[in-house]
Amino acid sequence: MRAQHVSALSVRSFRNIAQADVSLGPRFNVVSGDNGQGKTSLLEAVYVALTSRSFRATKIEESIAFGATQALVRARIDSDDGARWQSVGLRRGGRDLRLDDKRPRSSSEFATRAPVVVFHPGEISLSAGSGAERRRLLDRVALFSSPSAGDELARYTRAVRSRQAALESRGAGSSDLGEWEELSAVHGARVVEARRRALAALAEVAQSTFGELLPEVRFDLVYSATAPSDVADFASELRRSRSIDVRRGSASIGPHRDDLRLELGGKASRRTASQGQHRAIVLSLKMAELAAVGALSSLRPVLLLDDVSSELDRARSTALFSLLSRASGQVLLSTTRPEIIETTGDRVDFVVRAGAISPL
Amino acid sequence: MTTPKLRRLVQLLARLPGVGEKTAQRYVLYLLAADPSIARDLGEELSRLHETIRPCDECGNLAEADGQSPLLCQVCRDDRRDPALLCVVGRVQDLLAIERTGTMRGRYFVLGKLLSPLDGVGPESLPIPRLKQKIARDGVRELIVATPPSVDGEATALLLKRELDGVGIPLTRIASGVPHGGDLEFADPITMGRALSGRQRL
Ligand SMILES: Nc1ncnc2c1ncn2[C@@H]1O[C@H](COP(=O)(O)OP(=O)(O)OP(=O)(O)O)[C@@H](O)[C@H]1O
Ligand SMILES: [Mg+2]
Ligand SMILES: [Zn+2]
Repeated sequence: MRAQHVSALSVRSFRNIAQADVSLGPRFNVVSGDNGQGKTSLLEAVYVALTSRSFRATKIEESIAFGATQALVRARIDSDDGARWQSVGLRRGGRDLRLDDKRPRSSSEFATRAPVVVFHPGEISLSAGSGAERRRLLDRVALFSSPSAGDELARYTRAVRSRQAALESRGAGSSDLGEWEELSAVHGARVVEARRRALAALAEVAQSTFGELLPEVRFDLVYSATAPSDVADFASELRRSRSIDVRRGSASIGPHRDDLRLELGGKASRRTASQGQHRAIVLSLKMAELAAVGALSSLRPVLLLDDVSSELDRARSTALFSLLSRASGQVLLSTTRPEIIETTGDRVDFVVRAGAISPL
Repeated sequence: MTTPKLRRLVQLLARLPGVGEKTAQRYVLYLLAADPSIARDLGEELSRLHETIRPCDECGNLAEADGQSPLLCQVCRDDRRDPALLCVVGRVQDLLAIERTGTMRGRYFVLGKLLSPLDGVGPESLPIPRLKQKIARDGVRELIVATPPSVDGEATALLLKRELDGVGIPLTRIASGVPHGGDLEFADPITMGRALSGRQRL
């Protein structure tokens, strides 16, 4: 695995950070500060610069600073091959991506150049929440295991939404429904294939990590598809569900409704797992993401750990430290209590106060 | 330094694609400093643009009005072109991209739109009856579907295939090779030429 790290970060009008230019260390970077000062925002800025997406906003425009019309995040990435920049400009209604001042061919190309894995408090929903977070996990890993996965997902989404718009505006007899159903099935089947490959890359590490944490119960990951894998069957099932789908407001089958089923001892864990089991599942999935993305890209991912704070939540901290000890690349972590963070090796400390970042 | 009239002109120019306020201001200042005939000629051409340049009555390509009816574009007037080979494109820009390859020996049909229910464009908004008439009238023997490789372009190609199923002529689709999901407009002539010569049965 080749090493690379974010050596410099430049942020403008992003959340409560009006302006920041920081040099980061190649190993541990500890960002501390009281609640509401901008720690998560700084980690989010790194994530946006590396992937062009946010890990907390559904609409990326939400991260433009209040009162500003645009935001900019730029990251310099150092590796054995030298230094390069990647940047994301955010406007209402658009993103402007640059790899060394050149537009990338696609947003997937942009998002796979410097792999990053984030672990934040909201991620308990990976285990306990609806399928959306789990589908996103598979789709993120799929970018690395199948180069066309991002494009196929975008095409599937456009096709299946076009079908729905045709259904809702012109009814179940619209003459172009067959075309949209064929395209939904063609691209949808490829999305499912890509996700299955991503799952194959994740499963082994997820299971072995879980086995170390809670050896007494068996953990399984199963892709649960809602549509037939055969393209023609997929399309005919869409055709049959037209009248239901008009009422539902969306297609009743397809990868947007699939799930990555997590099972403990053969039973779906989502509603039955204990708190500790949920945490073990989340940690296992994150360890697996880190390992899979690293192996598939041959690059050491940057790890972002948000909110390594509370003593109240000892179990979570323990989990985070175990993740820390295994991440061999660059780590950025945020905490309200820097003194509890035990690190070995290079460490740089920062303090965030009212959106201003200064080295300690 | 600006006056209301100058500001208005800057705003008008800034509406053009790829032109921002700064560039627009540069243009205006240039026009003020340069020979007045440049601004005058430009203004005259622009004010007559919509009367002089209109869609070709046959194919939808850009044509120059000369008072004759029907109004025909250069391609439709060129009798060395093979009327039996017809290439269907989404927009005039795509037609120009194919023309730049210099390898197209047939004629065109510009749809003007692609199927796109999310933007309110359904099959009834496409000029399919006119296309069918043209195929029959010109004795078309091969139809090249050169809609872009986007999802909307693919759906439009599938729709044409179904609509023209009974017409009894082979439909071919330009080979993918042009940037995926991308615009034909931005494909270089060599790539575009390859896409055209590598076309396959739809
Ligand atoms: N778009 C925005 N523009 C400006 N400020 C914002 C924007 N979005 C959020 N904020 C504010 O930015 C501040 C910093 O938020 P952030 O989540 O980064 O804090 P934090 O340091 O991670 O806090 P905690 O320790 O509580 O997690 C908050 O006061 C928040 O309300
Ligand atoms: Mg926070
Ligand atoms: Zn013409």
